[in-house]
Amino acid sequence: MSDRPSSKEQVSYPPGFAATRRDRQALVVLLHLASLTPQRLGLVARNHPTAWACLRAVRRGDSASQGDVDRARVLDPAAAARAVRACGARLVAVGEPGYPPELLHLHDPPAGLFVRGRDLSELTPRVAMVGARTCSPTGREVAKEIASGLAQAGVCVVSGGARGIDGAAHEGALHGGGATIAVLGCGIDMVYPKEHAELLAEIASRFAVVSEYPPGTPAEPFRFPARNRIVAALSRALVVVEGARGSGSMITAHHALDVGREVFAVPGSPTSALSQVPLDLIREGATMIRGSEDLLRDLGLAHLVESAGTLGTASADAGLGADPSVAPDERAVWRMLGAPLTLDQLALLTGMPLPAVLSAIARLELRGSVRQVGGRYERRLSAG
Amino acid sequence: MSAGRPTVRRVYGRVFGVAVVGVQGRLVTVEAHVGRGLPAVVLSGLPGAAVQDARERVRPAVESSGLTWPLRRVVVNLSPAGLRKEGPGFDLPIALGVLAASAQLPPRLLDGYAFFGELSLKGEIVPTAGVLPVAMAAAARGLRGVVVPEGNAAEAALVEGLHAVGAPTLAAVAAFLRGGWKPSPAPVAQASPDDVNAADVDFADVRGQGEARRALEVAAAGGHNVLMMGPPGSGKTMLARRLPTILPAMVRQEALEVTRLHSVAGLLSGGGLIQFRPFRAPHHSISVPGLLGGGSGFLRPGEVSLAHHGVLFLDEFTEFRRDAVEGLRQPMEDGRIVVARASGAVEFPARFALVAACNPCPCGYQGDGRRLCRCLPARVVTYRERLSGPLLDRIDIHQTVPRLSREELMGSMAGEPSKPIRDRVEEARERQRFRLRRTPWTSNAQMSGKVGRRDARLTTDAEGVLSLAVDRLQLSGRGFDRALKVARTVADLAGSEQVDGGHMLEALRYRAADPHEEAVRAG
Repeated sequence: MSDRPSSKEQVSYPPGFAATRRDRQALVVLLHLASLTPQRLGLVARNHPTAWACLRAVRRGDSASQGDVDRARVLDPAAAARAVRACGARLVAVGEPGYPPELLHLHDPPAGLFVRGRDLSELTPRVAMVGARTCSPTGREVAKEIASGLAQAGVCVVSGGARGIDGAAHEGALHGGGATIAVLGCGIDMVYPKEHAELLAEIASRFAVVSEYPPGTPAEPFRFPARNRIVAALSRALVVVEGARGSGSMITAHHALDVGREVFAVPGSPTSALSQVPLDLIREGATMIRGSEDLLRDLGLAHLVESAGTLGTASADAGLGADPSVAPDERAVWRMLGAPLTLDQLALLTGMPLPAVLSAIARLELRGSVRQVGGRYERRLSAG
Repeated sequence: MSAGRPTVRRVYGRVFGVAVVGVQGRLVTVEAHVGRGLPAVVLSGLPGAAVQDARERVRPAVESSGLTWPLRRVVVNLSPAGLRKEGPGFDLPIALGVLAASAQLPPRLLDGYAFFGELSLKGEIVPTAGVLPVAMAAAARGLRGVVVPEGNAAEAALVEGLHAVGAPTLAAVAAFLRGGWKPSPAPVAQASPDDVNAADVDFADVRGQGEARRALEVAAAGGHNVLMMGPPGSGKTMLARRLPTILPAMVRQEALEVTRLHSVAGLLSGGGLIQFRPFRAPHHSISVPGLLGGGSGFLRPGEVSLAHHGVLFLDEFTEFRRDAVEGLRQPMEDGRIVVARASGAVEFPARFALVAACNPCPCGYQGDGRRLCRCLPARVVTYRERLSGPLLDRIDIHQTVPRLSREELMGSMAGEPSKPIRDRVEEARERQRFRLRRTPWTSNAQMSGKVGRRDARLTTDAEGVLSLAVDRLQLSGRGFDRALKVARTVADLAGSEQVDGGHMLEALRYRAADPHEEAVRAG
């Protein structure tokens, strides 16, 4: 798979790599250097067994780009460490008790992790959820439902804090009354995307926001795949909701497989661009799930939740219930809406005249049971 | 008559020309005086640039026609002097004025006709824009006839009770005035309302898209403006092109108005009356004068006027210049546009049905499913917000058009032809005209919000639906009025006195999408 990281050599850091205050401050500087990947840092650390020694080696010109060597010379370790504290974060270095041991399953674990909020060891067990940033409204609903189910079973939902499925997963977990961890692909102090300012603030205050990047690191696309390996490694399983071919969801799934995590995928219509990653994964052997009920059962947690949903098996009238105000026309239209349909298709399938279908659809819209997306109508899985 | 000395040779000649101002023809007296002095031509009476040019063209044209140009001082005056005369149509009356002043033409017929036409150096009369208003002006002033270029004769013949003479050359006009040449009667174009379907497009060509077809039917029935939103290739243009075929056939008066506008714009290709409702689809890079009318010197009708009594289709609506779009408000309110110039304001009729079309997002594929939209949600919201504002308040029907796959297209029903749809539309229009007979309006779309609320005649069920909609859809006051008007049209189409719940619900489907709705944000 071309998506997978090319170098597979296991990176390890010497014991006591960042044991002293000076080493920890030096590590913050080292984490500022984009060209000093965990692999490279691991190599440097073979000859220089502490972070401080590594920093001195880098300042002499070792292993980093010229720009980063210059940065390493200019950056003051004490000031860099102060900046971490200033934004309410703390550094958890490899070898420290707070460092999540699961990250060592990666072949390239970060030498340190910045954390805002609670200690990660309090937030277990964890399941990761990822998917498309430009997801469909249905994808959002599915992600929320699954995250909420996980939360009710006491599972902490890990995701990347991005738009789309990531955001829906975090929201679903909060809505379900559970915990969630956001792993950022930018500096620990950055708010990205802007729309998630409130969400990220809530997660940081109640649970945890983590990043391997020190304060001030801007959000740049090349960091997102690296972030995904942490999302995958922190969790015991990964759920992929929607993703277009070539997207980060596939990369995350492969990271999860590399560290031996189970991968679950929610299928979609084979004609939809957003179904491609989940369907590819199912063909590669990922477990197909239709909703939180399937997932919790497979994880052995089903007994913890009273009413988990299975979205795909909604029976003919499910969602409308026995409400006597629902007219027969509305039920006829609703029954056909297993998949998104145009008005013509609905008229053809129900045998109703077009204006009658239009008013039935409009009434279902008013009930909050149906919505229109791009000129096609589909069921809303949850009201609101 | 300043030449005081009596002489055997006449020195003064007078003929009628016509100046076209906007779409109105104004009769202009062309006087010519041939007097003593060095050979020269002097033109007075506020001639525009093209009329000034006539001085150079007229003499060669006269000489090429076997007539004599007086080698004396020629003064030509155009009256009324306060009116600026534009266009090349004054060549012919100037030439005839000079010929009359030099006693080469009998004055007998000159007073009964207006003359209009551009001359070539060989003395041919070149087809010219604006002949129909010229003929109308001549008829309005009670003249017997009008002499126009042969290629425009059919146009002039549209004016009833007027002798339309189509002349090929200046020599032929001279011969006609001397009684030596009889023009063949101009071909009279036959107008028949059933010819509307002779247009080469029909709703039967559209497969699928039943919802959009229905939306256009409702729009046609109530005179509502439409916004269609859909990805590239969904068929927005194809649908819009067919809207004119379901609008009621034009009556003769409307057809004459349309023909006159196209005549002034020089867009009549020899034919007579325009019987099809026009469809104008200007590109989004169009200038403000191009869209609204204007230009330097001779004022041309803009696209809004060329779409008079027809359909103005603005594809890529978000890409049009802001000031051009804002300028649409006046014609959408008043059915006319006033183009102000230093020399005075000119009014063009501009009563059109607006069909605007745009993509759902900057890349075009939001909500398409089969192709991925890569627009950031915030950009989609910004894009959709561009679709709000005062102009959008005049668009009652908003319709999302899905892109259909080949299989869906093959599997869908062939469309209903335009004729039966047009019949339903005409019936619905008739009901509106009757109901609104005591108001200045003729269609539901024109109703004020107050009248719309009064005439809605909602059943209890419809009232329930409406109050639910106000609740659930956060319907604004304007959205409320728009929904009522559209519901009234839906009921008119159904032949119902009252608006029932079904009509109301259907109308709600045509409401404007909220730019902040969940489907937009989800990407």
